[in-house]
Amino acid sequence: MKILVAVKRVIDYNVKVRVKSDQSDVDLSNVKMAMNPFCEIAVEEAVRLKEKGGVDEIIVVSVGEAKSEEQIRSAMALGADRGILVTTDGPASSLTVAKTLKAIVEKEQPGLVIMGKQAIDTDNNQTGQMLSALTGMAQGVFASEITIDGDKLTVIREIDGGLQTLSLKMPAVVTADLRLNEPRYAKLPDIMKAKRKPLDKLTLADLGVEARQTVKAVKVAAPADRKAGIKVADVAALVDKLKNEAKVL
Amino acid sequence: MLGLGRQELMSALCHIFDQDKVRDDQTTLQSHGCDTTKAYTAAPQAVVFPTTTEQVQALVLLANAHQLSLVPSGGRTGLSGGAVASNNEIVVSFDYMNAIGDVNTIDQTVTVQPGAITQLVQQAAEHAGLYYPVDFASSGSSHIGGNIATNAGGIKVIRYGMTRDWVLGLKVVTGTGAILNLNKGLIKNNTGYDFRHLFIGSEGTLGFIVEATLGLTQPPNNLTAVVLGISSMDGIMNVLQTFQNSITLTAFEFFSESGLSLVTQHGLNRPFEAKAPFYVLLEYEQTADADALVMAAFEQCMENAWVVDGVISQNETQLQTLWALRENLSETCAAYTPYKNDISVKVSDVPTFLAEIDAVIAVGYPDFAIVWWGHIGDGNLHLNILKPEHLTKTDFFDACKRVNKDVFDIVERFGGSVSAEHGVGLLKKEYLHHTRSAADIALMHGVKAVFDPQGIMNPGKMLP
Repeated sequence: MKILVAVKRVIDYNVKVRVKSDQSDVDLSNVKMAMNPFCEIAVEEAVRLKEKGGVDEIIVVSVGEAKSEEQIRSAMALGADRGILVTTDGPASSLTVAKTLKAIVEKEQPGLVIMGKQAIDTDNNQTGQMLSALTGMAQGVFASEITIDGDKLTVIREIDGGLQTLSLKMPAVVTADLRLNEPRYAKLPDIMKAKRKPLDKLTLADLGVEARQTVKAVKVAAPADRKAGIKVADVAALVDKLKNEAKVL
Repeated sequence: MLGLGRQELMSALCHIFDQDKVRDDQTTLQSHGCDTTKAYTAAPQAVVFPTTTEQVQALVLLANAHQLSLVPSGGRTGLSGGAVASNNEIVVSFDYMNAIGDVNTIDQTVTVQPGAITQLVQQAAEHAGLYYPVDFASSGSSHIGGNIATNAGGIKVIRYGMTRDWVLGLKVVTGTGAILNLNKGLIKNNTGYDFRHLFIGSEGTLGFIVEATLGLTQPPNNLTAVVLGISSMDGIMNVLQTFQNSITLTAFEFFSESGLSLVTQHGLNRPFEAKAPFYVLLEYEQTADADALVMAAFEQCMENAWVVDGVISQNETQLQTLWALRENLSETCAAYTPYKNDISVKVSDVPTFLAEIDAVIAVGYPDFAIVWWGHIGDGNLHLNILKPEHLTKTDFFDACKRVNKDVFDIVERFGGSVSAEHGVGLLKKEYLHHTRSAADIALMHGVKAVFDPQGIMNPGKMLP
C-alpha cells in the first residue's frame, strides 16, 4: 500500500508574526519558514505506519512556491520515500490544493492520504474534507489515533467532550490532530540521504488543474494592544473605577 | 554594631530611604539575605532598597562613619555565596533601581539601572531590532548589576564573550562614597587605567554599580541546533575543531549520558536511540551555505567514527526542545542534592583534565554518580555529583569537601580556574590560591584598599 502525505510550507510556529504596513497580508520577508506542525505529525504517522509493516511507499506532496522543496526534503529525511512538488503562482486556495491532490491520488492510487487538520497560516481546516468530497474517499478528520487492519482503518477522533471511534473503508483521507504523535527529529545522515531521493516537479497545468481564487483577503490587522494597568490608591477608588469606568458593578 | 544602636541605625536608614524601603521583617531578611547557594544561613540586620544613586552614596558614607558592612544584592541567582549576608550586614537590594532606558540604535547601546532583569534587557533590545547576547538559564531572574559584578558568562560565550565584553560604561559608588563615571559608553578610550574592568567581576567588594551602559549587536538569524552523540571524550575536541573550522558557532555545549538519562526521565525525548558517553549541542545561524558546511563537517566526523549519530532542528520548536536537553540539566539535578563545581581549563586540555577527575572520583568515591555538562567550547565544565541515597546530606557534603581538594589540585596542575563563571564569593575563596598566585592575591587586597579602605563593601567575600 502507498501512503500519500501532503505538507505545507508556512511561517514557523514560534515566529512572532508581523503585519505588513499596508495591512494586505502577514509580512513574510526574512521570516523563518517551516513545515506546518500538523503536517509534521502527518509525516510522522505515515513513517510509523510504514515501520509497523504493510506500507510499501510514502509519497510526500507539497503544493505552493518552489521553496516548498525544503519541506519535502525534510519529510524525506524523516522517512518519506519520494516527493512531488507542484508549484503555483502565488498562494493556492484550499480548493485548488484539494483538486491538485485529487489529480495526484488518481495517478498514484494511495490506500491512505494523511494530512494536517489545518495549516497554521490560513487556519482553514478544509483541504482534507474537500479532497474526500472530490474523490469519494472516506474521511476521518481530527485523528488522535489510527490503526490499519487489512482494508479497514480505525480512527479515533477528538470531539467536544470526548472521543469518537470510526471504522473507515480504505482508501481514506485522514487529517492529523495535535495528539496523534510527537514527531521525531531529523537525523543528519537521513538528511543527506534525502537529498538523493527522487523528487518530481510539476505545475498545476501538468495536472490539468486550474487555480481559481474565489476568496480575497481584504485586510489583515494585528490584535489591539493591551492597555497598561493602573494602580489605585485604596478600595474606595477601586470600587469607584469598577462602577463608573468599567461599569461592572 | 559599632557606633550605632539598633534604633539609631533604623532611624538613620529611614532618614536616607523612604520608610517602606527599609525592612527588618524576617521574611525579607531571609529572602534577601542569601542567593541560590543553599549552604549559608541568612542573618542580615536590615534590607534597604535604594531608588537613587544619592541614596546609595549616603548609605556608603553612613557605613564609613559607623563601620557598617554592606552586601549588594541583585536577582540572588548566584551559586557562590557572593550575595550572602550571614553576619549582621545591611543588604542593599537593587529591586527598585530597575529602569531600562531607551535603546540607542545608532550607538547600539542601552543604559540600565543595576536591578534591571537580564531577560527584560534582552527583550528591550529585541524590540529595537537589536540583541543583548549574554544569556543563561537564570536570565529571567538575574539582574544586570549582578551579571556585571560576577562577569556572568553562559551559553553564548563562544560567539559573544562574557558580560565584560558588553559593558561600555559604568556608574559606580565606591567604598569611599565617590561617584565615578567609568568609560562613559565609549568604544575607543585610551586614557589610562580602565577602572570599569576592575568593577566587572569585583563581586561587590569595591563599591556599588548604580548604572550600566551595555553594548548591543545585530540579532542572529535562523538559529539551528545540532545534537551529536560522541563516542569518546577525545572525539569531542575533533568534532569541535571540525565544526569551528567550517562555520561560526553560536554555542558548543556538552553533557554526559548520565545527564541525558536524567532529563529524559523527566519528560524529554531522547534525540536519537543510539547511546553515547557524551553528547554535544552545537548551534549556528542557518543559511544554505552554512547547512552544506555543517553536513560536510558531520560527514567527516562520521567517517572518523567520532560521532555515532546526530539530529538537527527543523524549526524553532525543535530548537527549543533540543536546547531543553541541555538547559533542564541543572534544574533536574537539583532534586538529587548535587555537589556542583564550575571549573575551566584551556579548551585543548579538556579531555585529559576530565579523564583525570573521573579517575580520581572513581577510585576515591566509587558510589558517587557524576553528571558532566558545560560550555566545552570555552573550556568550562560543570561537575555535578549526585548524593548517593545511603549518605546523609552532612556526610555527603563533608566527602565533597575532600573531593574539592582533589579536583582543585588537578585544576591547579592544568593551570585552570577554580571558578569559570560563577565567581568566588564565600564558596571558593579558600581555594582561590589554586588559580591566583600569592602575589596576585596581595595585589587584589591592595586594589580593594584603594576603593574601599574601611572594608565596608561585601566583607569576607572573594578575598581570602
